[in-house]
Amino acid sequence: MYWKYVIKRLINGVIIFIILVFIYSVIFNVQLEQTVRTMIEEKVRAEEMALSTGNMTPQQIKQYSQERRDHYYRIYNLDKSVPERVLINTVNSVVFNFGNSTIIKSSEGSMDVRTIVFETIPRTLLLFATAAIIDIIIGLLLGIKKAQKPGSGLDKTTSVSTMIVFGMPSWWLGMLMMMLFVYTIPLFPSGGMVSTPPPEGSMAMAGDVLYHLALPVLTLVVLGFWGRAFITRNIVLGTLQEDFIMSARARGIPERKVLYGHAMKTAAPPIVTMALLALLASISGNIVFEGIFSWPGMGNLYWVAVEQNDIPVLMGDLTTTTMVYLSGLVILDLIYGFLDPRIKVGGKE
Amino acid sequence: MKWADIKNSFSDFWKEFKRVKSGIFGLVLFIIFLLIVIFEPLVLPFGEVNDTWRDITYWEDNPKSAQPEWTNFFRSEKLSTSSKLTDPEVHINDMGALKMETVSFKYDYQFSGAPKDIVLKAHGTGNPLIVLSVTRPDGEEIELLQKPLFLEDGSDVRISLAKDSRDSVYEFARDYESRVNVGKSDPKLFDVPMVLFSKAQEGILRDSLSEALKGEYTFSANIILQNENDTMDDFSLIIPGQVYGVLGTDAYKRDLWSGVLAGVKWALLIGILTAIVSVSIGVIFGVVSAYYGGWKDSLMQRIFEIFRSIPLLPLLIVLSAVFKPSLFMLIGMMCIFFWTGPVKTVRSMAMQIKEETYIEATRALGGGHGRIIFKHMVPLLIPYSFASMALFIPGAIVYEATISLLGLGDATIVTWGQILSDALKNGAVLNGLWWWVVPPGLCIALMGMAFAFIGFAMDKILHPKLRTR
Repeated sequence: MYWKYVIKRLINGVIIFIILVFIYSVIFNVQLEQTVRTMIEEKVRAEEMALSTGNMTPQQIKQYSQERRDHYYRIYNLDKSVPERVLINTVNSVVFNFGNSTIIKSSEGSMDVRTIVFETIPRTLLLFATAAIIDIIIGLLLGIKKAQKPGSGLDKTTSVSTMIVFGMPSWWLGMLMMMLFVYTIPLFPSGGMVSTPPPEGSMAMAGDVLYHLALPVLTLVVLGFWGRAFITRNIVLGTLQEDFIMSARARGIPERKVLYGHAMKTAAPPIVTMALLALLASISGNIVFEGIFSWPGMGNLYWVAVEQNDIPVLMGDLTTTTMVYLSGLVILDLIYGFLDPRIKVGGKE
Repeated sequence: MKWADIKNSFSDFWKEFKRVKSGIFGLVLFIIFLLIVIFEPLVLPFGEVNDTWRDITYWEDNPKSAQPEWTNFFRSEKLSTSSKLTDPEVHINDMGALKMETVSFKYDYQFSGAPKDIVLKAHGTGNPLIVLSVTRPDGEEIELLQKPLFLEDGSDVRISLAKDSRDSVYEFARDYESRVNVGKSDPKLFDVPMVLFSKAQEGILRDSLSEALKGEYTFSANIILQNENDTMDDFSLIIPGQVYGVLGTDAYKRDLWSGVLAGVKWALLIGILTAIVSVSIGVIFGVVSAYYGGWKDSLMQRIFEIFRSIPLLPLLIVLSAVFKPSLFMLIGMMCIFFWTGPVKTVRSMAMQIKEETYIEATRALGGGHGRIIFKHMVPLLIPYSFASMALFIPGAIVYEATISLLGLGDATIVTWGQILSDALKNGAVLNGLWWWVVPPGLCIALMGMAFAFIGFAMDKILHPKLRTR
C-alpha cells in the first residue's frame, strides 16, 4: 500500500517539523523576546513624543506610557508565563507567522518576515536544483564508466579528485571563480540574479537569469560531481560482484545488457537516495555560498540578516530552511519507497 | 583487549594501510601539519601573531597589501622587497653645549618598483632636533625634513617619509619636470617614494613615465641634542616594499604567512576534537540502540531522526549570531548536532555483532550490559570509527570556517576562515588580491584532502568488496 506509506511519512515529517520548531523556540526564546521588547519600547517612546504633553503632569505621562506598554505586552503575549510564550511562539512559527523584521525589507518593501523569506525559496531551489541535475547526470555517467573498469587510469584519477575536493569550501572556490572569471577575464556578471535594470521581455529575462546562474552552478558542479561519481561507482561495483550478475554473464547476456538491465535495476534505489541525500547536504552545507555571488536566495538572506543583526528574519529563515530540508528528506523517502518495493510492502523500516 | 592484541591488530592494519598510496600521501600531509604546530614558535616570522593579529600598531611597519616576495621571480622588472636596516653608521660630534649625532643608512636599491614608504624608527628622550636627508646615486642631495621632537622619557620615534617629506620631495622634483606634467600632478597625492627613487628627468612626477634610478642611497639623519639629558638611539630604517615575505600582507598590513601558520593548530583542534567527540557519541548511541532493541531502540531512532532532520550549518549560523560563542562553545555546539553521521551504519553493524555466540556466552556468564557494550561490541567498531572520524574532520573545519566567514568567529584567535572573512570584507576578490584569498582556502582544502585520503584509505581496507581488482 504505497498511499498508506506516503501518508505515514508525511505525518511523520510534520511531527518532526513541529518538534524542531519547538526546540528552536526554547533555545532562542530569550533573544526573540528581547527584540520584541526593544520594539515595544521604541513604539511607546514614539507615542509619548506624539502626545501633547502641555497639559499633563509627569505622573500622568508615566502612567500613560505604562498603559501603552501593558497594552503591547498583551498583544505580543509578553504578559504570559514563559512556557506559554514558548508554546505560542512554536505555534506561530509552525504556521510561518514570524511577525515583522526589524530592518530588512522584501523586494516589494514589505516588512513581513514571511514575505521576505518565502520570496527567496524559489531562487535557492532554482540554483541548487539546476546544479544538482547537471551534477547527477555527469556523476552517474562517470560513475558507471568508473565501475566498468575499476582500477583503470580514469577510475584512479577521478577517485583522487574526489578526495581533493572533499574538504574544499564551496564559497572559497566561488571566490576564486569570481576573481578569475569576473574580474580578471570578464566573462560572467559579478553577482545577483538579474542585471540592473532588468531586460524587457520574458525571453530576454530568462536568458539574463541563466547568464547570472552560470557561474554559481559551475562552481557547485565542479565541486559536486566527483563525489556523485564515486558513490555511483561503489554501488554499481558492489552490485556487479553479486552472484546474479555472474550468472547473467554466464548465460551469455551481452555486457551492456548486464550492466544497464540487471545491475542498474538493483543499484538504482541506493544511487538515487545517495544523490538526493548529497543534494540535501549540499543545500544545508553550501547555502552560505550564495552570499559570494549575491544570489538573492535563502543563503544570502543569512548574510544580510547577520550583518543587520535582524533576529526575526534569521529565525524565520532558519525555520523555513528546516522546512525545505525536511520536505527534501520526506520526498527522498517517498521516492525510495516507490523504487524499492520491499519498503512499501513491509510495515517495518 | 590486551596490549599485545592491540599491537597486533595495529601492525596488521599498518601493513594493509602501507599499500594504499593515497593513504600514505594523506598521512604525510597530516604529519607536515602536525610538525608545523609543534615547531610553530620556530617557523613563525612574527612570534606574537596569536595575540597581536588584531592589533593595528603591531603591524604598522609592514607594507599594505604587498604581494608575496617570490612573485618577483616571474617578473623582469623586479619590485622592491621589504627590508629593515638596523646597522647604521653613527658619528657623534661633541660641541660643548650641543651634541650632534649623524646617523646614516646605506640602502642599495636595485628594483624597478619603489618601496611603499621609508620609515625611520628610534628611541629618545627630551627635545632633539632631527634633520633628515638623502643622497641619491646621481649625487643629488635632498633635505627631506626638519623636525623638532618633544619626547617623553624613552618614547618611540616614528617618522614616515611618505607622509612627512612630501613638500620637500615635490620641490625637488618640480625642478626637473616639464611644465605640463607639473600641472597634471597633485602635490598632495603623488607617490613620494616613487619620485624619490626615480631618475631626475622629465616625467619624474608621472607614475607611468618615471624611470627607476638604481644604485646606493644614503639616508642620513642629523640629530642635534640641545640639552644634556637629550638622547636618541636604537635607530632603524624600515623599508616596506611592494613585495613582502612568503605570502605577502593584507590590507591591514598583517603578514599572511604568520596568520596562515597560526591557523593550522586551530583547524586541527577544531577538526579532531569535534570528530572524536561526535563520532564517539554516534557510535555509542548506535550500539546502545541496537543492543537494547525493542521500544528503547525505536525511541532512540526517533531521537536520531529528529537530529538528522536539522539543517546543521544554518542552525549553527543562527546559534552563533545569537549567542556569539567562543571557540570551545562552537566546538561543543558542533558536537551536539554532528553525531548523527555514523549512527545508521553502526546500528546495522551492531545488530549483527549482537547475534554472535560469544555475546551470548558473556551474557550467560553473567556479564552486565555495560560490559558487553563497551568491552565486546564497541572495540569491534573502532576501525570503522577511526575511518569515519577522519572523514568527519574536514566537515568540522569547513563549518567553523563558514561561521567565521560570516564574521561570527571567535575574535581571540586566528583561523583561516577569519582571514578569508577579512579578505571578503575588504574587497580582496574584487581587487584581485589573490595572495590574501588563495592560501587560507587552499590550507582548508589541503587539510580536508589529507583527512579524506586517510579516511578513504581506511574505508578501502574495511570494505574489501570495493577494492579494485
